[in-house]
Amino acid sequence: MIMPHTHSLLLVFFGQCFRICEMWRKAADSRVPLVRQMKDMPEPNMDYSNLRRQIISMKKSLFDQGYLDEQFNQLEELQDDSSPNFVEEVVALFFKDSSRLLTNIEQALEKHPQDFYRLDSLAHQFKGSGSSIGALRMKNECSMFKAHCSNRNLEGCRRSLQKMKREHATLKQKLETYFQLLRQVGPRERAVNSWK
Amino acid sequence: MAATAEARGGDFPVGMKVLVVDDDPTCLVVLKRMLLECRYDVTTCPQATRALTMLRENRRGFDVIISDVHMPDMDGFRLLELVGLEMDLPVIMMSADSRTDIVMKGIKHGACDYLIKPVRMEELKNIWQHVVRKKFSENKDHEHSGSLDDTDRNRPTNNDNEYASSANDGGDGSWKSQKKKREKEEDEADLENGDPSSTSKKPRVVWSVELHQQFVNAVNHLGIDKAVPKKILELMNVPGLTRENVASHLQKFRLYLKRIAQHHAGIPHPFVAPASSAKVAPLGGLEFQALAASGQIPPQALAALQDELLGRPTSSLALPGRDQSSLRLAAIKGNKPHGEREIAFGQPIYKCQNNAYGAFPQSSPGVGGLPSFGAWPNNKLGTTDSPSALGNVSNSQNSNLLLHELQQQPDSLLSGTLHNIDVKPSGIVMPSQSLNVFPASEGISPNQNPLVMPSQSQGFLPSIPPSMKHEPLLASSPSNSLLGGIDMVNQASTSQPLISTHGANFPGLMNRSSNAMPSPGISNFQSGNNPYVVNQNAMGVSSRPPGVLKTESTDPLSRSYGYGGSSSVDSGLLSSQSKNPQYGLLQNPNDVTGRWSPSQDIDSYGNTIGQGHPGSSSSNYQSSNAALGKLPDQGRGRNHGFVGKGTCIPIRFAVDEVESPTNNLSHSIGSSADIVNPDIFEFSGQM
Repeated sequence: MIMPHTHSLLLVFFGQCFRICEMWRKAADSRVPLVRQMKDMPEPNMDYSNLRRQIISMKKSLFDQGYLDEQFNQLEELQDDSSPNFVEEVVALFFKDSSRLLTNIEQALEKHPQDFYRLDSLAHQFKGSGSSIGALRMKNECSMFKAHCSNRNLEGCRRSLQKMKREHATLKQKLETYFQLLRQVGPRERAVNSWK
Repeated sequence: MAATAEARGGDFPVGMKVLVVDDDPTCLVVLKRMLLECRYDVTTCPQATRALTMLRENRRGFDVIISDVHMPDMDGFRLLELVGLEMDLPVIMMSADSRTDIVMKGIKHGACDYLIKPVRMEELKNIWQHVVRKKFSENKDHEHSGSLDDTDRNRPTNNDNEYASSANDGGDGSWKSQKKKREKEEDEADLENGDPSSTSKKPRVVWSVELHQQFVNAVNHLGIDKAVPKKILELMNVPGLTRENVASHLQKFRLYLKRIAQHHAGIPHPFVAPASSAKVAPLGGLEFQALAASGQIPPQALAALQDELLGRPTSSLALPGRDQSSLRLAAIKGNKPHGEREIAFGQPIYKCQNNAYGAFPQSSPGVGGLPSFGAWPNNKLGTTDSPSALGNVSNSQNSNLLLHELQQQPDSLLSGTLHNIDVKPSGIVMPSQSLNVFPASEGISPNQNPLVMPSQSQGFLPSIPPSMKHEPLLASSPSNSLLGGIDMVNQASTSQPLISTHGANFPGLMNRSSNAMPSPGISNFQSGNNPYVVNQNAMGVSSRPPGVLKTESTDPLSRSYGYGGSSSVDSGLLSSQSKNPQYGLLQNPNDVTGRWSPSQDIDSYGNTIGQGHPGSSSSNYQSSNAALGKLPDQGRGRNHGFVGKGTCIPIRFAVDEVESPTNNLSHSIGSSADIVNPDIFEFSGQM
């Protein structure tokens, strides 16, 4: 009696093992592509190409739509092995500093009486900052803001500030996406300008 | 960026040292990266005031400066002017503002170039040409001038050279050697290190304080309108000096005068008249007179010059006879032109001067109770603060120089006087000791008269802090103006005779020239006045009147004054101008009073003052006061350079040979952090 009982148990046991093994195998199989990607094997060239194409097209659209200008290219050219994340770092620094500036401008606008000289000065800082990273649309909006300041046009300044904030947020989001794509291609591939 | 060092040696322009000043962090980072790509040696600084301090401390540490125009703590144009005057380095302006009028303003202030943001790599790759161009043009100016082997110059410049060389220790590339060569043409030719680069190096004329004093005297004698290089050269009778040297120096001088005149246009100079006479009287003491006389620039001449600049009547300056003392007065008067700012200073300055003469106890044991001191209080410039006070301050500076000389002289006098000063109600209670300190620190031997001469103030300024201190005591009057004035004065004096162009400096400048005079004149000074004078000068130098600075962002006067005095102080002054003319001084005197220790105090005082400056004036002063307690040796040493050995001054002159003397002054002053002057100036103004 015992013998047959044991035998069936063993069978069950082995069956379970086999299932588990299968599960592992399947899991392993599914992980293979990830591993390959992480190792940057030639196999994922297709993915790279896709990514590269995405990045290139995104950058082109940013330029075409006027979000960025030539200065951004200059920044990317400065990027190399010694400073592989240069552009991203500068952009991050810009957004941090410019957020502060925007807040200052907003506060200054709400003060009564308005100090247009100070507002102009703040906008000027913003403009200089933005131009350093090639933020074209924002730079233009800053010029508009400054024009309103010199005309002492409070309403114009308020409207302009709203536009600046929108441009600021839009650019920030777009660049974040852009950098995410870049991160996926890996540091060695980051020299976008060399892709052409 | 590897191998920058090796590249620096012969791979020009690799390794060129660039200082970038911009309050925008993004732009700073981008520029730094770009400049590194160009293989330059980059230093970034988000604050203009700090940048100025850095430059003052290490003149040779940078080859070119790139500065933003709009900055919160200091106007870019002001920084541009100061750097040009004090350090004579090429400055490139940069801004997102591309309006023609702004660009024009930059050019007018002396910018080598003006870049529009965003700055591109290609533009940065070419900035080396500005450095080379400047060097070449300076060399050309001195093509025909051999080394000036004036013994007088050698003496004061010795320290200067040492100073300069130490400042240059950083340079080991061709850049430095070239620059250094230009500066030390006299006896420290060996100071230069490294082999000169391919560009020809002609010895540059070092416009030391004495030399400048001689120059100013000659110009005064001829009359500013009739002063032609040939005649000036003849009058100066300095072997080795060429007409070209004089011509270029005259040009700078004229520019300076013009700037001062413009600056002070419309500024009443009540002091000039009353103060001078008042001072003259009390001075009575030989020393003072000597001091004035030593100025070499007859007070009348000074006054005349000042008047010319300011359009004021020259009568006030009439200080006949006393060479030094008169000179001082003249200087003081000259300060008046500073204008409103100086008003506050003006008053004290006069007073200081008196004290300076008598009260330069500085290091020497006791100047022997300067009789003038007593006079000081009397003289209290009380007249409206007017700029003349400032002028006086500068005078004091000059006198500081003299003071050093006087150090040897009766210290007791100084101390005596100093104490008197303390009595003065002026807020600037600069402990008389401080005055004494100056001389002490300066360690100027009486022989060094040239330096001691009030005009010398340039060099002395740093060391004279103590004397300056006295001034403030006396000058209770509107510290603000005084301070400003004093600074201006200081600057003037320190930077070199040319500084007078700054406007207020005029008298100071005069003093300087007087300093240049052969010791005999100075010796008189030294006896009594020197200490005082020196202090004054010192004061002038350091105490850049904040007010003064601020008001004129572009005014060379203010600039020179402010910066001349103390590097750090300047910044402080600038920012604080309105706040505290007295701030520095007031505090100092308190601190100072405690310490009469020789120069040391001053140094510390001066140093602190200088250092304290950046930012709030009041705070600066206070800090300086605190510093008084501790006499930073370094500060002192620096002062010494200025005052006693004339190192301070010579350096400046050396540096700027071609440029306005103010540069030198500012440089020296700036470099010597110990320039207590800034505070001193304030005090003097306060007088």
